[in-house]
Amino acid sequence: MQIFIRTLILGIASGSVYALASTGLVLTYKTSGVLNFGYGAIALFTTYIHWSLTCVRTPGITTSGCIGTHLPVWLSALIVVLIVAPIIGVFLERQLFRPLEGQPQIISVIATVGLFVLFRGIAQLIWKGETKSVPSLFPSGVAFHLPGGATIPKDSLGILIVAIVAALGLGAALRWTRIGVAFRAVVSNRSVAGLMGINTGYVSGLAWALGTSFAALMGILLAPTLLLDPNLLPPFIIAFVLGAAVIGYMRSLPLAYAGGIFIGIAQAIFVQYIRSQGILGRISDSLPFIMITLAVIFAPRALRQAGAGASFIVRSREITQRVSKNTRGLVAVVFFAFLALVPILFSGSWRDSVYQGFVYAIIFISLVILTGYSGQISFGQTAFMGIAAFTTAHLVQGAHLPMWIAMVLGPLAAVPAGNLIGFIAVRVHGLYLALMTLAFAFMADSLFFQNPTISGGEGGIALKRPAGFHSPTALFYLGFVFLIVFAIIAVNLRTGRTGRVLASMRDSETGSRSLGIPVTKYKVLIFGLSAFIAGMGGVLLSFILEQAGNRSFMPFLALIYIAVAVLSGIFSVGGAIVGGLLYGIYGQLSGYQLLSWLNNWQLVLFGLGCTLALVQNPEGMFGELRRAGAAITRLYERRAGRSSGRPEPLPVAGGQE
Amino acid sequence: MSVLLSQGVTIRFGGLTAVDDATIEVPEGGFIGLIGPNGAGKTTMFNAISGFLSPTRGRIMFEGRDVTSMGPSARARLGMGRTFQKLELFGRMSVFDNLMVAAESAESKLDIVSDILSLPRRHSEETRCARIAEDMLQALDLGWARDRRAAELPVGHARILELGRALCTKPKLMLLDEPSSGLDSEETRAFGKLLKRVNEEMGMSILLVEHDMDLVMDVCKSLYVLDFGRLIAQGTPKEIVKDPAVRAAYLGEEDDEAAASPAER
Repeated sequence: MQIFIRTLILGIASGSVYALASTGLVLTYKTSGVLNFGYGAIALFTTYIHWSLTCVRTPGITTSGCIGTHLPVWLSALIVVLIVAPIIGVFLERQLFRPLEGQPQIISVIATVGLFVLFRGIAQLIWKGETKSVPSLFPSGVAFHLPGGATIPKDSLGILIVAIVAALGLGAALRWTRIGVAFRAVVSNRSVAGLMGINTGYVSGLAWALGTSFAALMGILLAPTLLLDPNLLPPFIIAFVLGAAVIGYMRSLPLAYAGGIFIGIAQAIFVQYIRSQGILGRISDSLPFIMITLAVIFAPRALRQAGAGASFIVRSREITQRVSKNTRGLVAVVFFAFLALVPILFSGSWRDSVYQGFVYAIIFISLVILTGYSGQISFGQTAFMGIAAFTTAHLVQGAHLPMWIAMVLGPLAAVPAGNLIGFIAVRVHGLYLALMTLAFAFMADSLFFQNPTISGGEGGIALKRPAGFHSPTALFYLGFVFLIVFAIIAVNLRTGRTGRVLASMRDSETGSRSLGIPVTKYKVLIFGLSAFIAGMGGVLLSFILEQAGNRSFMPFLALIYIAVAVLSGIFSVGGAIVGGLLYGIYGQLSGYQLLSWLNNWQLVLFGLGCTLALVQNPEGMFGELRRAGAAITRLYERRAGRSSGRPEPLPVAGGQE
Repeated sequence: MSVLLSQGVTIRFGGLTAVDDATIEVPEGGFIGLIGPNGAGKTTMFNAISGFLSPTRGRIMFEGRDVTSMGPSARARLGMGRTFQKLELFGRMSVFDNLMVAAESAESKLDIVSDILSLPRRHSEETRCARIAEDMLQALDLGWARDRRAAELPVGHARILELGRALCTKPKLMLLDEPSSGLDSEETRAFGKLLKRVNEEMGMSILLVEHDMDLVMDVCKSLYVLDFGRLIAQGTPKEIVKDPAVRAAYLGEEDDEAAASPAER
């Protein structure tokens, strides 16, 4: 019994931290309409700052990012939570989310994915992604003994007290202060509050400040026990905070708080009683995601439909004059011909990184047909990639199938998973679909990919290249052919009947239904196709090292893929190809002495690029290339006086439209 | 045989009865109006007929077939076309593609594999459907806007496009939800003329839900009047205008307007 009471108290202690952070998340969501998927990364960043302020420099050991001020832990925590974090929050709200106001929800969701990548990147840049140990705010030791011998540690008690004080403070401020009343008004109905003369912009700025403060507080409170690790902390925080927030369907602050406590207790009970029992232990890891999935599936209709019907993109920079179809075709042919010559013209390491570029381009094409063409969203592409790669590997090892057959069957195995998500996407839209697919990626990872019998554990599982393609150059052309095939399929998809149907569903699902379009069928289809293409990408990716390992399919990589795809242009195959090649040869570029700084800047550039693209031009880099191409054509036509006999010049754009 | 027959349709939202035991019939080639004061349950009834809402009680029969349990797209495939009070055009697609996607939905037998692989079949099917869309474009005088994005059209043209889009599916019954909203009286008259042509020249059966009395009196052959979810009258426009129950419920304070309506004259 006393064990149970202890478990309960520990659960409430960590639960109250989740509760606080999820309250902050919901507060931001309700006041600004943005659900921040970058919450965990912001917590990571601010906790790193906290570490930098408190760390001790040891001579002889180089530790990145240590300032050497060696502030007392409490002082540093106060500075970070009360000054640094609010400034970050207000800055983000002003510079990023206010310009995105009025855009479809999915755009701001992707912008927060950009934030995630950005802050993760800054952590990489300044602290080299090192794992740091953060000192606890509280003394160690036992706070008190329960009757029967169980003990409650001091730091759990301390965390509980800080979280409760902060929550009571927030509650009191919301209840009794003027600005608190304004807050509650905006939370309950933003547009009406605006009409009543409340400065909603001010309120949402303040909410962002509070939200990031709570994120920082959560990071600082949890890091001593969890370790400050860029690969562990953000997903952990995002999981528990989203899980808690979704319980109240992100509508009410008290429910978000209760959700946090609940999830904390549930986790403590799992850890105490069920952990280390094989599959159940893995279930405990994905507990928040199971909760998210259940909550989303059983959500009331009105909520699930939120974001439905809104056209995916409201404003984009128009291209005044399009480059003619023939010219675009010619550019594509010339560009692909150039790519085909890469193994001959360049060194082996260039060839290998261009092959990587092909693979990423294929993965991005799976996003383009889903998001760009159909207005759907998936944060779960890594799951499809992993399912395909591991299935292929097992078909070869276990069933002794030839690789040529296995590498088609593997991606096909990802299709039912895609179909299932597509089926769910009929009922679930926008933000909730994003949550759902994110949960899917994490569950696939912790339930299956972390299982050594499936993934081969640390070393991965062998995945040999198919017969006849063992040499790097042969592999290069294999990837090249696959890329061309998928690019042609995607272009055909866009220009044909299916593409029109998908676009019509993207613009108005209601309108599509009224024409007799079987919306369910098409969603099931497009998610299945996307899963297949992503799966093939996963298999081709595994050919590089000739092994499939779970590190290649970590869920957060799916978020990076989205950020890069948006930056390069998520509305066209050309964007996917440009983005894939950029991502593939990035490492190659940073190999040069002059460009070596690129290495650490990678995620920063991609995250920043993604968010900037969304604010400036959602068509991304490829959209800008096309504009440039059109401008050149126009200039040339003016010069040549539109003489049609001469060949048109090549615009800068690469790849097909 | 009637094209559409709703039998004793009742729709409740919680404790509120929005439509109470309504029986409406649209005969072959008929042009039926469904009118009533604000909040009478017109749009609710309309959504039940087109499948966007399922009735609490009663049946919807379409060409003698019970379609009550079918969703909107299944009903559309059977031949129910509809427009929306709040426009549901495909905003980022071109005007032509809006028509094309509708024509293909009803006409094209192209399977997805031939489409994605761009087999020769795709070309012939596309040509066939493009002709339907092109003809509709000309018939509606929208040729000038062919390659514009649908979202750029002014409301008047957008309503015409939405009607044309529904027509491209070659429906047997056209359901129109408040087509005059957002239009000025000039545009409404023109739209009414267009509807008459669709009814007379194409023989299209039409059910029109509308609050603009001038339009209804002008175009409809027969009317149903809803008030607080109940059908209170049924008859030709002339009979309806004279019906005391309707006058009390609906035209009560609007005697002048009713007197000035074209049907009265």
